[in-house]
Amino acid sequence: MTDQQRRFVSTNRRVREDRRFVAGAGRYVADLDMPGTLHVALVASTAPAARILGIDASEALAMEGVVDVLTGEELSAAVTPLMNGLDTPLVRRFPLAVGQIRYAGEWVAAVVAESRALAEDAAEKVRVRTEALPFVIDAEAALEPDATPVHPEHGSNLLLDRTFDWGPVAEDFAAAEERLSLRVTWGRNSTVPIETFGVIARWNPWEEMLDVWASIQMPKYADQIARALKLPGNAVRVHYDVDVGGSYGVKRGIKHTVLVAYLARKLGRPVRLIEDRLENMRAGDAQGPERIFDIDVAFDRDGTVRSMKMRALDNAGAYAGRAPFQLGKPIGAIVGPYRIGSVQYRAMSVTTNKAVQEAVRGFGQAPTNYAIETMMDRVAAHLGIDRLELRRRNLIRAEEFPYTIPSGSTYDSGDYHTVIDKVLAHADYEALKAERDRLRAEGLCAGIGIAACLEPSGGNSSFEPLLNEKNRTSTWMEGSRVTIDALGFVTVAIHTTSSGQGHETLAATVVGEELGIDPDRIRVTRPDSLSSLPGNSPVGSRMAIMLGGAAARAARNLKRQLVAIGAHAMGIDPDTASYEAGTITAPDGRSIGWDELVDIGHRRFHDLPSGTNPGLTASFIQQVPTGVALPKDGKVQMYPCYSFEFHLVLMAFDPVLAKPEIRRYVIGHDCGTVINPHIVRGMTLGGIAHGIGAALLEEFTYDEGGQLMTQSFLDYLMPSSHEVPSVEIVHHCTPSPLTEFGQKGSGESGYLGAPAAISGAVQDALSPWGVTVDKLPLRMSTISDTIADAETAA
Amino acid sequence: MKPAQFDYARPKTVEEACGILAADMDARVLAGGQTLVPMLAMRLSRPSVLVDITRIAGLQGIACSDDTVEIGAVTRQAAALASEVIRAEVPLLAKALRHVGHPPTRCRGTVGGSVAHGDPSAEIPLAVTVLGAEIVFVGEDGEEERFAPEDFFIGPMLTTAPMGGLLTRLVFPRRAAAPTGTGFREVASRRSDYAFASAGAQVVLNADGTCAEARLGIGSVGDTPVAVDISGLSGTRLTAQDIRGAVVEALSDLETVDDLHATASYRKRAAVRLAELALAEARDDALEQAG
Ligand SMILES: Cc1cc2nc3c(=O)[nH]c(=O)nc-3n(C[C@H](O)[C@H](O)[C@H](O)COP(=O)(O)OP(=O)(O)OC[C@H]3O[C@@H](n4cnc5c(N)ncnc54)[C@H](O)[C@@H]3O)c2cc1C
Repeated sequence: MTDQQRRFVSTNRRVREDRRFVAGAGRYVADLDMPGTLHVALVASTAPAARILGIDASEALAMEGVVDVLTGEELSAAVTPLMNGLDTPLVRRFPLAVGQIRYAGEWVAAVVAESRALAEDAAEKVRVRTEALPFVIDAEAALEPDATPVHPEHGSNLLLDRTFDWGPVAEDFAAAEERLSLRVTWGRNSTVPIETFGVIARWNPWEEMLDVWASIQMPKYADQIARALKLPGNAVRVHYDVDVGGSYGVKRGIKHTVLVAYLARKLGRPVRLIEDRLENMRAGDAQGPERIFDIDVAFDRDGTVRSMKMRALDNAGAYAGRAPFQLGKPIGAIVGPYRIGSVQYRAMSVTTNKAVQEAVRGFGQAPTNYAIETMMDRVAAHLGIDRLELRRRNLIRAEEFPYTIPSGSTYDSGDYHTVIDKVLAHADYEALKAERDRLRAEGLCAGIGIAACLEPSGGNSSFEPLLNEKNRTSTWMEGSRVTIDALGFVTVAIHTTSSGQGHETLAATVVGEELGIDPDRIRVTRPDSLSSLPGNSPVGSRMAIMLGGAAARAARNLKRQLVAIGAHAMGIDPDTASYEAGTITAPDGRSIGWDELVDIGHRRFHDLPSGTNPGLTASFIQQVPTGVALPKDGKVQMYPCYSFEFHLVLMAFDPVLAKPEIRRYVIGHDCGTVINPHIVRGMTLGGIAHGIGAALLEEFTYDEGGQLMTQSFLDYLMPSSHEVPSVEIVHHCTPSPLTEFGQKGSGESGYLGAPAAISGAVQDALSPWGVTVDKLPLRMSTISDTIADAETAA
Repeated sequence: MKPAQFDYARPKTVEEACGILAADMDARVLAGGQTLVPMLAMRLSRPSVLVDITRIAGLQGIACSDDTVEIGAVTRQAAALASEVIRAEVPLLAKALRHVGHPPTRCRGTVGGSVAHGDPSAEIPLAVTVLGAEIVFVGEDGEEERFAPEDFFIGPMLTTAPMGGLLTRLVFPRRAAAPTGTGFREVASRRSDYAFASAGAQVVLNADGTCAEARLGIGSVGDTPVAVDISGLSGTRLTAQDIRGAVVEALSDLETVDDLHATASYRKRAAVRLAELALAEARDDALEQAG
């Protein structure tokens, strides 16, 4: 199918969800009003590490309106520990601290009352007696042999230490003409949605059914709830028809859910927990990766990068969860868009007394891209080669696709040189450089930053079996069903919540395309988890590929039924019939229309071709296009599709005040076939805003006493509309050969390269002083102090 | 983030408000709520009763006399920003107001609330300090008490406000008839954040274009906004060199603080830079008036 033949895919159609969001008519979990609901507030630990000696809730329980106070001891006796990704059974995590507190803010007890305000009043009255324990905040300190283990039973703070050697690393290093080392640090930031996590659970003892409504974005949520509560899988019903007010990875409130589900069963009333900002920031277990990269790179004087040794040390926080896997996913694009022939990668994850790390947009790819791109800048500087030229010499060429990288993933398609050329032409690179030099002549610091990077998409979970041999997962399917009702209207079912990705538009568009029907006339529904086909939720930039694929293929199956019905009615071979916008036409020009087809399908069994089921419905379960094999020899095909983005940024700032101002931001973006241009644009702009935050502003900072200093938006600084510049997007389309329409993912675009590009621009601006910046976020005060120190030294 | 329980009172007069405040040590004035409400939500403040003063007619409005402009304490920051009188007669305050939060917070936040709260990074207290405006309270006894800024702001969120007192108005001097230029500069991570350093300046010119009077204040860098003696500029032509020399000298022993977002050394350099920029802006502004 070519672009010209497409009627809806890639056209400028309105995003259907936007209407209700803009009108303030979304339906979020906090909007649900269930009679008799009880409210939860948490008793949070003040110490970063302590033994719990006793909890006295008598005063709280005596207050009017207070129903229960739950402790970790009671809860842990009733539920199984929350799931770990790695095989670390002694790193046990429950929704409430059991015996020991492991980070400041950790939930020690839950107070249940008739209102949230009463619950908060009572929470203040719960007395927790503790004995302070030593704690560790810094990842490198946590590695020291004498460091206090956060989980003494586990024996050390090391959750993961795995070294991979892909290709002839030693030989390449020996043969290379030059080498250099660098260290860069990615600060602990996250996505911090306006809507905090929230969940309501209701237990119906007569049906023995647990109903859950949540602001969730998590694979296998219902399974995890059932497992933790030791319930049959079919006794947990998650309602997907709840709008989720932002996530990008972090809405994984399994601990919140197990907590309220247990309470709902115990107390026989619906129980709700809507995090307030404080709970969200310090104990929502939703902070992102925090990583130190140590890199050795071997290269030749002509700029050819031969080999790279990368050690990534990640601070997982107090419990294991899925955080260590964020070191695994980037293995699928560990060389970025470059032809680096061999790689050694050491992935290390440690526990510390910080809040728990959760998945954040890109699942570890943004920090890794920042490290790779900073490395490329350093190599260029070392050789005195232009940064762009260095990249051009190392980029994989269009004719080399499909291209297999040393760690075993094959990149599906790409045309990196063309995207870069288009961006440079659009931006007028020479003029941009002249503008930078003009700004410098005015006495400002001015710099250009560039970043070329990949967005692996179509998420499976190959990093799970790669990093945990007990995990044998080789599929991460997504299902969809399309039905034509007896009145001839089309309904598509999707089986997940959405957190702003526009899945309703996606599904309607591809089904409309397949059936030749206006997508606006197609209904999209979200059945609950027990009525759903198997799926894995919108993570890993996968839904355009996976849900788009499933819905399109389900529609195609349905179309095949319609063609069979029409051909049979006209007495022709179905292979000779053509389908166009709901009408089947015979080679001789006779045709049969939609209403007739529907009538036969639903009412006239006698007119159906033999072997056809009555009723018009079809479904399809999409397998990840490449996700079939388990890892072998430390190699695996990670995600199937690889989108490309190229950032070009001009920044300027006063050398004393050092407030970085983005003067120009151009991004070249290639995510294959775009299904809806508005959605891709929105993702890219939002991703860049998020990347600006990561580069310059946002950090969950802990002080030496283990206290979180950035507990609210007063100190956790997210970029506002003033800090986000207007961004020019240059599109390119290299279709993926692996997907229905040639689409790739774009849910993480922008964020994956913006921090690298911005850091590079600041670095370029500081080049006259010969200093380096190597730590995000780049605070204004640090930039200014760096310049001042350099001037003092000179 | 739900406040602890409190009672709520909405007096109609200053006397009534003072009565409630006098009767209960834990009563607290509620003005625009832009600082107090978040503090209540975080339970950092636990008043017994909130005395909402926004309906007291006597605390509203902006009035101009021969040589002063009086601003009622509950005048909203947005109203002050829109005021022609303030723009014409207290231009430095008008410039400062633009940096206070953003439109939604200015629509509720009051001029008096900002002064009563006494945040060292707040712009209104800085303008008050530079211009030497009077801060007027009515005490428990109903008597008026006037404070000069340097006696009022004594620490971060710490003032000499009388116990149970109510800030009723601010009395700003009207600008001189001679060309009077103002400059206000600050630097923050994001627009509308509390500043890391801020500078407000006002210069008055002689007929010959030399400086008759120069005022400077620095905010956000220490415990309180500070007035800086920059009288050395008097008589000069306010060249870049004049300004630089005077600022560097005047700020040589400026004390600055460290925090997560900005180091003390950064604040110090930024204060110098902003002071220069604010004075230059004030000079250009005055020269333009001089024609
Ligand atoms: C998002 C955001 C950004 C902000 N940014 C800035 C900024 O950049 N710069 C800045 O200066 N401010 C900023 N603020 C604070 C804002 O300007 C407040 O409005 C102001 O500091 C307090 O004024 P208020 O009228 O809201 O007082 P309230 O919050 O009602 O009261 C503040 C305190 O003053 C006391 N008080 C108030 N009025 C009186 C009175 N008449 N007599 C005695 N005591 C009184 C109260 O009891 C309370 O202790 C920001 C606020 C927000 C929410």
